[in-house]
Amino acid sequence: MTDPDKSLDVLPGTLDLLILKTLALEPQHGWGIGQRIQQTSRVFQMKLGSLYPALQRLEQAGLIQAQWRQSDNNRRARYYRLTRLGQKRLQIEISAWQRLAAGVTRIVEST
Amino acid sequence: MARALSYLREIVNRRRRRRETHEELLDHVERFVAQELRKGASESEARRRARLELGDVLPVAEELADRRPGAYLEALGRDLRLALRALSRARAFTFVSVLLIALGVGASTTLFTLVERVLFRPLPFPEPGRLVRLFETSPERGVAHTGVARGNLAAWRSEARLFEGLAAGYAMGRTLSDDQGSEVILTAQFTCDLFPMLGVRALHGRTFSNQECRRAVYSGAAAPKGADPVLVLGHGLWTRRFGADPSAVGRTVQLERRSFRIVGVLPNDLWLPEPGVQAFLPWTLDEELNHDQRYTTAIGRLRAGVTAAAAESELDAVAGRLASERPETNRGWGIALLPLHEHVTARARPVLLLLLGASGLVLLIACSNVALLFFARGQARSRESALRLALGAARWQLLRLGLFEAGILAALGGALGAAFAGIALAWVPRLWADLPRRGELDLDATALGFAVLATLLAALIAGALPAWRSAQPDPREAFGDGPRTTASRPTQAARDALVVAEIALTVVLLAGGGLLVRSVSALQAADSGFDAEDVLVAPIFLDAQGYDSGEKSRVYYAQVFERLRSLPGVVAVGGATALPTSPLGPDFARPVWPAEAGKHDHNVKQASIRIITPDYLDALRIPLVEGRGFSAGDGPNAKPVLAVSETLARALWPAESAVGKSLIVDYSTSGTYPYEVVGVVADVRFHGPRSEAQSAVYFPHAQRSYLVLNVAVRTKPGAPPLAAELRRVLHEIDPQKPAHGVSRLSDLLGATFAHERRAMQLFVAFAAVACLLSGLGVYGMLAYRVRQRSAEIGVRVALGATRTRVVRYVAGEAARLWRGACSWGCSGRWSAAAF
Repeated sequence: MTDPDKSLDVLPGTLDLLILKTLALEPQHGWGIGQRIQQTSRVFQMKLGSLYPALQRLEQAGLIQAQWRQSDNNRRARYYRLTRLGQKRLQIEISAWQRLAAGVTRIVEST
Repeated sequence: MARALSYLREIVNRRRRRRETHEELLDHVERFVAQELRKGASESEARRRARLELGDVLPVAEELADRRPGAYLEALGRDLRLALRALSRARAFTFVSVLLIALGVGASTTLFTLVERVLFRPLPFPEPGRLVRLFETSPERGVAHTGVARGNLAAWRSEARLFEGLAAGYAMGRTLSDDQGSEVILTAQFTCDLFPMLGVRALHGRTFSNQECRRAVYSGAAAPKGADPVLVLGHGLWTRRFGADPSAVGRTVQLERRSFRIVGVLPNDLWLPEPGVQAFLPWTLDEELNHDQRYTTAIGRLRAGVTAAAAESELDAVAGRLASERPETNRGWGIALLPLHEHVTARARPVLLLLLGASGLVLLIACSNVALLFFARGQARSRESALRLALGAARWQLLRLGLFEAGILAALGGALGAAFAGIALAWVPRLWADLPRRGELDLDATALGFAVLATLLAALIAGALPAWRSAQPDPREAFGDGPRTTASRPTQAARDALVVAEIALTVVLLAGGGLLVRSVSALQAADSGFDAEDVLVAPIFLDAQGYDSGEKSRVYYAQVFERLRSLPGVVAVGGATALPTSPLGPDFARPVWPAEAGKHDHNVKQASIRIITPDYLDALRIPLVEGRGFSAGDGPNAKPVLAVSETLARALWPAESAVGKSLIVDYSTSGTYPYEVVGVVADVRFHGPRSEAQSAVYFPHAQRSYLVLNVAVRTKPGAPPLAAELRRVLHEIDPQKPAHGVSRLSDLLGATFAHERRAMQLFVAFAAVACLLSGLGVYGMLAYRVRQRSAEIGVRVALGATRTRVVRYVAGEAARLWRGACSWGCSGRWSAAAF
């Protein structure tokens, strides 16, 4: 469970990476994606106004694709999945992030 | 391409996407709520937390919708619907504005089409740029353009290399009879190459064949030769008299007592050589090739690539050769070429351009009025606009709404205006009978294109300025108790500028109208040398077949005059072969010279030949300057006499009286004889007040009986109209000889400046409309202002202002506007006067 006092806002630009990685594991609907990010990161909190615009943006860029399906509780839900383009993009973003994080860590840990 | 398709798909599916997004977001919220409920919270608590942690659904949905393609179009569509609703609520405003714009667009489109079709569009013949009209010219005799003599034309035809074709013809009034009755029509006889040269094909039947042209259908008074000659009907005559029936082709009609077979109908009216030609007859140039009777109209087609100047010089060389071969007839005569298009449209040009300008001004004034209406409306909505601005609307969203309203009004007004123009163009041929090319008027793509442009201009003027002003409301108004009492200063300045412009334009129109009225009155009052009031004119064309001797025609006319004189109210009855301003009758000039001096280059003059009856001068009240008029004593066996016009007398005998002198007239067909001058007649401006006084010699009808005579009947002022009686008398004497339309001489005189008069009438009409419009505009604006300032005025009154002071205060506003407007208007007037 996330603690509202300790949650961080997602850094701009990293939300795309988080969504793409989540969908790389399995296709998921918006709620599921948000839950996954919240639970796995233990840090981030998904508001409607950040998640869904990002999903629409990724969809318009052709990195993810959406489809209406019957969800687990017999309700209709919009499932998103990664496209091939999205997969390629994910790899790029991951390596970029790793380089960035490594660079920041090096500076922070330097004496 | 696929991207474009998916783009389009997105726009079409917008509403569905909106619903789906809503569903998706609500689903998300529901799952969160369910999760909270599972954790033990109450329903309301769960929802509260959802709102807190997730945010509100609606703004997110809006934002998602805004980011999808088509958001912009949807906004435009919304504004459009809003504008439509707003307009349908303000019915009076919409109605008046649409009507105003329709008026402006309709008037300007009509005149634009007129100008474009008549003045600028090439004539409706193939390669019309190569068609020219040929004239003979003699600068040393002061003759700029005159008809061509047949012999000269034949010479040109055989020798000119730079012409593809040269056709010639002339027009004459003739009596047409069939079982429907008789009427006199203007017919044209042309050589057979006219129709092929112009590229005119018959609508039904055919035009002339070469054999038909080899026969002379009419050659002077000679008897006809050969079998049934043929006739081609003009479109107007076919529609009017034969009911546009294709079976008219092949019928036989009588023309001057001779049978003619109709072989074809033309697709349009062909007004050559002059306006009003109704039918065509074949003609040949092979007979009676004289070189000095210059009345034929010659039309030619230049070879491809040949300039008019080159052709003119080629023909000048031929003329030079003729001049040396035949000095008596051809010395000093050259050729002039005029493009056919120019010749046809020259007279109508200034009138049409003037009216185009006037219609443009009316358009501007009408649009300014609509703009003022918009301003008033914007004023009423200023509070709403300020509120919208305060709530976060972008300025240009406010502007967009105003522009849409203006656009819708302009579109409606423009469509209505185009309809008006279509109707007006259909009426023009009926109202403006002598407009050249009036058969070619209709609303086509070019005209509609202009209508669209005019509509855009209307939208711009009427809408842009007020819309822009309405998008700058003072935000403080949103919090006040109501709209401001007066508009902000920039808005007021804009409004004032509009009113000033309106008034200035109206002043220009009024001034122009005044100038035209003045010039037309001057023309009407001008002295043309005769008195046109109370005179009826009836041209009579006797034919050679029925009246084959001079005696018969003398008897006929004697009968006519006697019967006419006995009608009640008749003061004098006279006749002349050619009457001033009357378009029918032989009008030609012959060389004359004094007998004693002999014929030398310097004393030969060209004089128009007129054959008159003794009472003619009385009938038209043409003064006799010296000597006497003709009397019964100047009969066929008496001494040959004539009278000369004043100018001619002075030119021939500058120092002495002309009476008693002997004048030789070269009247080639009947020979060259001396005549005694018995009188000098005052000058007559033959073609109306703007023409020059002509040199003329007058012969007594008894001595030279001509078949054609224009009968003029002068009645007492106030006498009952005699036209019907006149017709009856003529019918009784010879039913086959109706007069060619009985007209009033004053009408014929007026017809010589008909173009100017028409221009004046239309211009004054435009000016009146403009006056009305700007009057309404100014009144409306002032009334609105006063109403708005009623609070302020109330305060003034409370503080002790008297009624007069208040009135003066309001009037002062109006005066300020007038001063500005008049200074603008007057400068416009000077430029109009220059034109």
